[in-house]
Amino acid sequence: MTLLFRVNQSRDVKTSDLKSPVAFHAVQCLRETIAVAQRILLELFRRRRSLIFWVIFPVTVLIINGLIFSERTDLTQAEAFAQAVSPSLVGAALFFSCLGGSVSTVVAEREQQTLKRLFLSPLKGLSYFLGILLTHTVIGLGQTLLVVTIALFAGATFSGSLFLAGSIVFLSIVTYVGIGFILGGQFARRTEDVNALVAAFGVPFLLLGGAFLPTSLFPDSLLRLAKYNPVYHMTEALTAVTTQGEGLGEIRNHFLFLLAFSVVVLFGGWSVYNRMIQSERRF
Amino acid sequence: MLRVHRLLKRYGDRFALNGLSFDVQGGEVYGLLGPNGAGKTTAINIICNLLEPDEGLVEIGGVLRTDHTKTLIGVSPQENLLYRGLTCAENLHFFARLYGLKQSDRIEQVYECLETVHLLDRANDLVENLSGGMQRRLSIAVAMVHQPKLIILDEPTTGLDIEARYEIWALIRRLQSQGITILLTTHLLEEAERLCQRIGIIKAGKLLAEGTLEDLRQYVAAHTIALVSTSQEDMAIARGERLGFVHRRYGGDLAFWLPHAVELQTVLDYFQGIALHSVALQPIRLEHIYLEITHLGSSPTVTS
Repeated sequence: MTLLFRVNQSRDVKTSDLKSPVAFHAVQCLRETIAVAQRILLELFRRRRSLIFWVIFPVTVLIINGLIFSERTDLTQAEAFAQAVSPSLVGAALFFSCLGGSVSTVVAEREQQTLKRLFLSPLKGLSYFLGILLTHTVIGLGQTLLVVTIALFAGATFSGSLFLAGSIVFLSIVTYVGIGFILGGQFARRTEDVNALVAAFGVPFLLLGGAFLPTSLFPDSLLRLAKYNPVYHMTEALTAVTTQGEGLGEIRNHFLFLLAFSVVVLFGGWSVYNRMIQSERRF
Repeated sequence: MLRVHRLLKRYGDRFALNGLSFDVQGGEVYGLLGPNGAGKTTAINIICNLLEPDEGLVEIGGVLRTDHTKTLIGVSPQENLLYRGLTCAENLHFFARLYGLKQSDRIEQVYECLETVHLLDRANDLVENLSGGMQRRLSIAVAMVHQPKLIILDEPTTGLDIEARYEIWALIRRLQSQGITILLTTHLLEEAERLCQRIGIIKAGKLLAEGTLEDLRQYVAAHTIALVSTSQEDMAIARGERLGFVHRRYGGDLAFWLPHAVELQTVLDYFQGIALHSVALQPIRLEHIYLEITHLGSSPTVTS
C-alpha cells in the first residue's frame, strides 16, 4: 500500500520511495533534527561573544586546576594537566554549555514565543529535543577538543579507550541536556531566571562533583553524599579512563550510575517538555 | 477549502465555542470578527490542530484535520514570532526545511516569497534590524513559504502604523490574486470591509451572522446615519422617535438611522427647535452592523 504523506506536489514523499513508514519518519526526524541544530548553532556563531566566553571558560578552569594540582600534589605539570582535564571538562565546561545552554535555548524560545510557531509546523517534539541535544553535543565536542589540545600542549598524555572516554563525555552531555530541559521547562520562564536557577542548582552540584576541588580532599560524610551526584561519577569515570587507562570493568559502577541517571533525566526532561508544549502551544 | 462544523469547546462550565460553523470558499478572503473572548483564537487553535475540540469537525481542502493537514495551512500569528538573530532568508529557509521542501524548491520558494512581500532587498538583513511592518510582512512570508492552500492571518495589522497597514493590505490583495484562500481575523472593521469577500461575526462561541457586506447590511435597516451633537439629547431622541428613526449611541455620539438618502438641510429641518452643536451624515459601515449584531443578538433589526 502506498501512503501519501504530503499533499503539495513539490513535497510529495511516498512511503514506497523509502523502505517503510518507519524509515520515512526516521528520515523526516533526522532532517528536522539537523534543521533545528543548524538554526541554533547559526544564531550562536552569529553572537560571537557567547562563543568566546564558552572558549575562555574551560581553558581558564583547566589552567587553574592544572596549576593547583601541580602545586599541591607531587605530580609533574604534565600529569597535573592530565588529571585536571576531567573535572575541567565534564565538571565545569559541559555543565555550563550543555545544562546552562539548553535551559537558555528553551527559555529564549518561550520568551520570544517562537516555540508557538514551531508547534504550527509539522516539527515533531522528538526532533526538537534531538536538535537541541545535537547542538550541545557539537558544542561539547568542540570544548572537549579544546581542553584536550591545551592539556596536550602542557605535556599531558592520555591512556585508555577513546571510545569509552567518548561515551562518558556523551552521557554527560545527555545528562546535562536532560537536566536543562527539566529546569528550563519547569522553573524558568524568563531569561533572568536562568542565571539564578543555574547558580542555585549548579554550584552545589559542581562543588560536590569535584569540579573545583578534588574529591580526594572531601571528608567521608561529603563523599557519601557525592556518590549520588552525577558530576562526581562523570569526573571519576573519565579520570580513571584517561589517566589510569581503566576499562569498563573497573569503572562499571560510575558508568552504570551515569547511564541510569542520563536515562532518568532524559525521560524527566521529555515529560516536562511535553507538559510545556501543552501549556505553550496555544496562541 | 475550509469547513468548520459545529465546533464545541468547553473550559469547565464556560463554552469557548458553542456549535461554531462556517465555510471558507477557495480563493476568498473570509473575515472572522468578534469581540475579545468570542472564540476566534480557540477556533484557530483547533483549525491548526493545536487544540482538540470536544465536538465537531474541521476539514481543510476536503481532508479531516490531523497533524498532516498542518502542511495545508500557513499561519501568521498576532505576534511576529521570528528568529531575530537570523536573516529574513534564513528564517524562511528554516521553516521551509521544517515543512520538508527539497533544497532546489526551497531556494526558489524563499526568494519568491521575499519578492511577494517586497523584502527581496532585505533578504540578508537580520530580523532584529527590520521595522515592525517589515517583520509582519516576513511573518506572512513564513506562513506562505510551504505553499499552503489556506493562510490564516491573525490580526495582521495590529500595532502597525498606517503606511505599514496599507502595505499589508496590498500584500493580502496580491495573495488573493494568486488564488490563495485567506482566513483573516481582525478588530479593525475597516480592514475587514476593504479586504474580505465574506464576513462571519461570532460571539460567545457562536456564529451570529455571515455573508457579504451587502448581506450584512440587512442588520441595520437604514440608508444613512446621522450623528447629532446636542445639549438637548432627550428632546432630540423624542423627536427622532416621532419621526420613526431608530437611535443608537456609537461611543458617546448620539446617532439616528435614516431610512433614505437625505440632504443635510433635511436633517436640520427634522430637528428644528432643538439646539444642535453639529450634525454629520455618514453611510452605514461595517462597524454599525457589527455593533448591532454583537450587542443586540442575531436578528435583523426591523425599523419602526
